Amino acid sequence: MPKRVAVITTVYRYLTHAQHEADRILVGYPHGGAWHRPDLKIVSLYVDQKPEGDLGGSRAREFGFTVYPTIGEALRCGGDKLAVDAIMIIGEHGHYPKNEKGQILYPRYDWFQQCVDVFEKDERSVPVFNDKNLSYSFEKATRMVAASKRLGFPMLAGSSVPVTWRLPDIELPLGSEIEDALMVGEGGSDAMDYHALEGMQCMVERRKGGETGVRAVQLLEGDEVWKAGEEGRWSKELLTAALSRSDTPLGLTVKDGRTQDLVHNGELPKLAKNPWGYFIEYRDGLKATLLMLDGAIQDFNFAARVKSLGLRSTQFLLTPEPNVTYSACLVGKAEEMFVTGKAPYPVERTLIVSGILESCLTSRVQGHKRLETPEINVRYEAPRESQHCRA
Amino acid sequence: MGFHRSFMPISRREFIAGTAAAPLLLEAQKVPARPKLAAVCTICFRMSHAQHIVDRFLDGYGWNSTHHHPPMDLVALYVNQIGKDDLSRERAARHPGMKMYPTIAEALTQGGSKLAVDGVVLVGEHGHYPQNEKGQTKYPRYEFFQQIVKVFRDSGRSVPVFSDKHLSWNWDWAKEMYDTARSMGFAFMAGSSLPVTWRTPSLEMPADARVREAMCVCYGGVDSYDFHGLETIQCMVERRRGGEVGVKWVQAYRGENFWKAYEQNVWPRELAEAALCRSHTLTPSRPGFNDIFPSLEDMRRLVKDPVAYRYEHEDGVKATMLLMNGLVKDFNFAATLEGRREPFSTQMYLPMPDGRTTQANFFSPLVNNMEKMFLTGRATYPVERTLLTTGLTAAGVESLHRNQARYETPHLAIRYQPSQESTFWRT
Repeated sequence: MPKRVAVITTVYRYLTHAQHEADRILVGYPHGGAWHRPDLKIVSLYVDQKPEGDLGGSRAREFGFTVYPTIGEALRCGGDKLAVDAIMIIGEHGHYPKNEKGQILYPRYDWFQQCVDVFEKDERSVPVFNDKNLSYSFEKATRMVAASKRLGFPMLAGSSVPVTWRLPDIELPLGSEIEDALMVGEGGSDAMDYHALEGMQCMVERRKGGETGVRAVQLLEGDEVWKAGEEGRWSKELLTAALSRSDTPLGLTVKDGRTQDLVHNGELPKLAKNPWGYFIEYRDGLKATLLMLDGAIQDFNFAARVKSLGLRSTQFLLTPEPNVTYSACLVGKAEEMFVTGKAPYPVERTLIVSGILESCLTSRVQGHKRLETPEINVRYEAPRESQHCRA
Repeated sequence: MGFHRSFMPISRREFIAGTAAAPLLLEAQKVPARPKLAAVCTICFRMSHAQHIVDRFLDGYGWNSTHHHPPMDLVALYVNQIGKDDLSRERAARHPGMKMYPTIAEALTQGGSKLAVDGVVLVGEHGHYPQNEKGQTKYPRYEFFQQIVKVFRDSGRSVPVFSDKHLSWNWDWAKEMYDTARSMGFAFMAGSSLPVTWRTPSLEMPADARVREAMCVCYGGVDSYDFHGLETIQCMVERRRGGEVGVKWVQAYRGENFWKAYEQNVWPRELAEAALCRSHTLTPSRPGFNDIFPSLEDMRRLVKDPVAYRYEHEDGVKATMLLMNGLVKDFNFAATLEGRREPFSTQMYLPMPDGRTTQANFFSPLVNNMEKMFLTGRATYPVERTLLTTGLTAAGVESLHRNQARYETPHLAIRYQPSQESTFWRT
């Protein structure tokens, strides 16, 4: 018997997260060199917004499931008891208000709470996959993770960046002594910065002693980012290493095809006119930096200096539209949890990144000041086995 | 001072591949500490092969966590066609260490009377050259190569040569190029970036694998990307037990013949499907779906002009290269191996600057392999691979030209052993 899945989403239009993630359960996806057809069946769907182009209804007709007007009904399939074996919450896209920090107030927490209410009333809980970060609010995210611990249901969340292909296919050995880490990306705040931070987190969490939480963060903008580089707050050597993996330098490369040493040819400040620097001080002393360099590159690259290994760098390959095969890597992980009842990697990774992102954006609205973050007291062990796509 | 050798070393593989003829050795081969190079190109515009390759020598490229500058100097450039969009003059102006010369001989001698470089890069791709009746563009790689070896002969000295893509559109000329390099005893390397680029997943064909069937599903045109598809297959199957032993025959299928062959399992359908499962660019066969596996009917609708080259090696191993424009935009490999139930498959990943990236970084591992040859005087992988794929490309074109009849290829009885080490990009 296939496991019964409820999909709870904001919008189900072409190339939304809901479409490409839920569709993989309906029509299969490329996995390990075969077209994998999961032993899962979507039985119910809740869609919050149905603008023109909504595909939820037509999918329901074609694949034999029901669109319900509320989350509770979707989880109970119109009956009076929880009637699914797994839940996918895909709260991305759609029109939702923004707060003063520029965060889109996606209702992931509220929806998760509605699921938890059903679990409590019906005295049964099932695994929940939550796409992207848990919530714009670290406090809410913390409550979500606490609920899953309290009720004992498996929970997985996050971005596809940690699980996609890597160029080169590297993993930092568990217990690495990481001396410095840097991620470079683009695409703006509250969408792509989250992905970049989670890409960096899945690498640094493998350091000696495991993850111990974040002591302080700071977000700088514009010239302050370059100045911080001059002062050694982020490493030019690491930025060079990360950019050595980029396939998308802009500027002169677009103009006439030439290769560029962006860190040393003087072009970087001309291209990245409004860089953002996210500075993260972990409790164990590790410092890590995310540079969002819109205008300079268009991909996501990581570099670290590791004791006795030296420089390590890789690109997190975000494969092109429309296939976005990286999302197949993520759905594979959700499916694994639905089938085995065990999350392949800790939801605390997503929790800590939800906290880092919110705190960085708070730093920004508070005049880019350094913020102590005692609340980001998130400790966890990285998975022993590599979880990214490599087979 | 440079590292001097009294003779051009012959690797085990070259020895095995070679005939009894002793290399005609000219003056002692020298491998200087910092080699000087000449590039001989058809044309140089934005996103041309010459631009990708020349720029990597001049401006460096991202490699192993740094911006790598090759430890050698490109000092001379010959460009056959200077178009309106030419970039070579801008490059020469910005890099005064590199001078442009009006002839190949002058480039190789740096305007003097004797060979004055330690390595030559031949890039005969793009530019306006006539096509023959079979649709092959007559890129002057052979002609350029002849001019290069004339300088070698006149100077009594030869140096390593890299030749981009297949050796020539003309098999006899390609064979002559190969024979010349062997008889003169200089290191010679050629081919596509497909064998050396990233793979998703990052897999190598196991050494001594018992390969039964191999397949590449890719895209592009005849006498163009077909060569890349063939190199994709060959860099994998050459690692099979016994090494490469050559190809007996080639047959092309096009249009309706292709679909009939597909339906009749002339090539194993499950291998084509396994290869498609490695693609990152599968055209959605239904509107509203972003990644959905196509039926054969879907493929018929999406692919207007499919082409297959199917061929058999001397040891019975069969291989098929499918050009499926409209269905994929990447190079996907699959093979059946004895003792393994599931197909062995991967994608040779090209970060293609057709909107997906801004920079064709698959030229980086190609240039890196050239550098190794220029530094050591030894090819990092056997040119026999490219000799064979050159012959296969020409044979595929020939079969198409002969109404898709099977074309016997006794001339492709090319035997060689692969390099022990993997040479694809994985660091």
